[in-house]
Amino acid sequence: MANQPNPAGSEAPSNFGNPAKEEQLWGDRIVVFVSHWTSWLFPILVIAIVAQVVLRGIGHNQAWLDDLHWWIYGAALMTGFAYAITTDSHVRVDIFYDNFTSKKRTLVNIFGLGWLLLPFILIMTDIMFHYAASSFVAREGSDSPNGLHGLYLLKMLLVALFALAVIAAWSALKRNLRRVTEPAFYKLIFCALPAIWFLGERIAYYGFWWHLRLSQPDLNPRRIPREDIFDYTHLTGLALLLAVLIVTFAWSRLRSSGKGA
Amino acid sequence: MEILSLMSNVMDLNQWMVLSMFLLFILFLFYGIPVAYALVGVSLIFVILGEFVLDENRKIITEYIDFKRTGINYTKLGANAGRFFGGVIKNPVLVALPMFIFMGLMLDQSGIAQRMMRNMQLLFGALRGGLALTVMLIGIILAASTGVIGASVVLLGVMGIPAMMKQNYAKPIATGTVAASGTLGILIPPSIMLVIMSDQMAISLGDLFMGAVFPGLILGGLYIAYIVLYGLVRPNAMPLPEHRVPISRKIVFEVLLSVVPPLLLILLVLGSIFFGIATPTEASGLGALGATVLAFMNTGMSYKKLRDAARQTMNTSGYIVGIFIAANFFAYVLRRYRGDDIIENLILGSFDNPYFVIAFILFVIFLLGFLLDWIEITLIIMPLMLPVIHALSITIEGYGVVGDPVVVWFAVLAAVTLQTSFLTPPVGFALFYLKGVCPPEISLGHVYRGIIPFVILQLIGLAIVFLFPKVITWLPAVAYAN
Repeated sequence: MANQPNPAGSEAPSNFGNPAKEEQLWGDRIVVFVSHWTSWLFPILVIAIVAQVVLRGIGHNQAWLDDLHWWIYGAALMTGFAYAITTDSHVRVDIFYDNFTSKKRTLVNIFGLGWLLLPFILIMTDIMFHYAASSFVAREGSDSPNGLHGLYLLKMLLVALFALAVIAAWSALKRNLRRVTEPAFYKLIFCALPAIWFLGERIAYYGFWWHLRLSQPDLNPRRIPREDIFDYTHLTGLALLLAVLIVTFAWSRLRSSGKGA
Repeated sequence: MEILSLMSNVMDLNQWMVLSMFLLFILFLFYGIPVAYALVGVSLIFVILGEFVLDENRKIITEYIDFKRTGINYTKLGANAGRFFGGVIKNPVLVALPMFIFMGLMLDQSGIAQRMMRNMQLLFGALRGGLALTVMLIGIILAASTGVIGASVVLLGVMGIPAMMKQNYAKPIATGTVAASGTLGILIPPSIMLVIMSDQMAISLGDLFMGAVFPGLILGGLYIAYIVLYGLVRPNAMPLPEHRVPISRKIVFEVLLSVVPPLLLILLVLGSIFFGIATPTEASGLGALGATVLAFMNTGMSYKKLRDAARQTMNTSGYIVGIFIAANFFAYVLRRYRGDDIIENLILGSFDNPYFVIAFILFVIFLLGFLLDWIEITLIIMPLMLPVIHALSITIEGYGVVGDPVVVWFAVLAAVTLQTSFLTPPVGFALFYLKGVCPPEISLGHVYRGIIPFVILQLIGLAIVFLFPKVITWLPAVAYAN
């Protein structure tokens, strides 16, 4: 069963879905701010579509307008994806969920956000980054000669929007964690363990890559990822993760004991 | 390890993996994890399994069980960027999605429904069951404004139920009318469900829109006929109002004034497609503009309303696109495990008669509709069914115009089935939305009792569409013939 929709006028719509002001974290504010401005793309899209129909009617078909339509759509919808994370409106089956205690609901949310969603959008950010980079290198344009060229710009924007989704998910995770416990950093890391592991793996990967690139300038960049050391990025990432976990844990313990004294 | 070889006697590894993918997904769903998160999470878990456990270089289990290289690992995930970009972003048909959502929100905000309610009540007041007919007609005319089922059921419920209670309607007929007419919106074009279906089933959106017109009208007609008959058989269930206003020319004029604009809007959208002035995507933009203009004329549109509609559009299309991205990724991983082949063979192998296959799929969709919204079903299940439908030896006359008439027919059947499913007690969720806005003296029992006749009508409609595919293919054939 889907989330209860907002019937017109049934509640103050100016704050539908947004987290309560006092609960918002900086990440939520960023997402809400960006989304609110981006939502004006929809009226703009209406105008762009109508303009195309009119222009074609009088015989001035604009191929770039066709491209612009799905550019706007793509940018707006991907922002909406992040926005829906912040407003917690991604559809769920709530037959059992509705009867959970609020603590259990929070735990389900934490698991969903940190262990399932966050790794995916991090991976997508990384994958899309490579995708956009190769598009940029090729200076990829439109399929149509009169289309909107600079397709790589849109692809780069999508990377940024996936990053926005990461911010949204991270903030939502922290917001949820706050409801059950003090959101110490090591707890946050534990709640997003697979994502952080992946992050560590990527740090190791890019670290190795740039290290090799800079230390051996004559090495072909395409061949770099085939070096043996790249078999150990998973483990290096895990080691990084554990190191951060231990340090932050010790730090938060020290701090709390300092407070106690 | 004996267990492993025992398991491989029953099904091969890929089949086990596909089965466990779905089971894990269902488990997550029942815990209330958002569908999109559950889909991507399950997919990632199976990528990790593919990377670390099933990698043939690691030879962990290859010695024990027969196992075809399933071929999903982290390196191959890179391909998902292109899949995502090509499937979700570079997809001009889907531009219609936020536009129709925007249009619906604008119509909701415009107060047109309330105005129609006020005026048509006066016109139909003298008629037995006039109020129920009013609600029904508004539901049909404003079908465009929906897509998210809850929204129109709630809107009609909030308006219609108190009015019908005041006039002492029997509770079951009041609730049944609202629920049935509220869900008609997902079927009658322009509906956003059809937009997504056309994308997932790779058929023309114009064909699908045109194809769904008559089934929608048939169902609407059946509903109306039922209400009129019911009024004749059981006059006490739908008493006439105490203060009847004689129908004057002014009332008729007022009704026309309130009904014609939204009708024109629908005609604008469908007509521009029908006459080839605009593609369905462009028609969605025209519709959105039309709805905005209507809202301006009707209630004096404010900056705030426009802003809220835009934000609400962002939210709604955001969660829809979330499932889009997630289902796209899930399908990718599933395909790497040969999930699509496995499911296709499973269904095709079970039945000899192609019509049984269709009936079976529809039944499965019907059951899934108890649990999932149409968004998930159209995005996860329908693409898996597409190869099955293609493999069936059913021929439907497309008049040389409708590309893939069998798929269009199947898509409309699925749409009607889903709508029926949302209405069917005990778990059809239009009923719960309705119960949520009913006054407390209406029990869930009343809602259940009221909906049963409409479910029967739905089944009749479904049978008509099933037996006479011409109902669907005729209009698109005419529309695109010239």
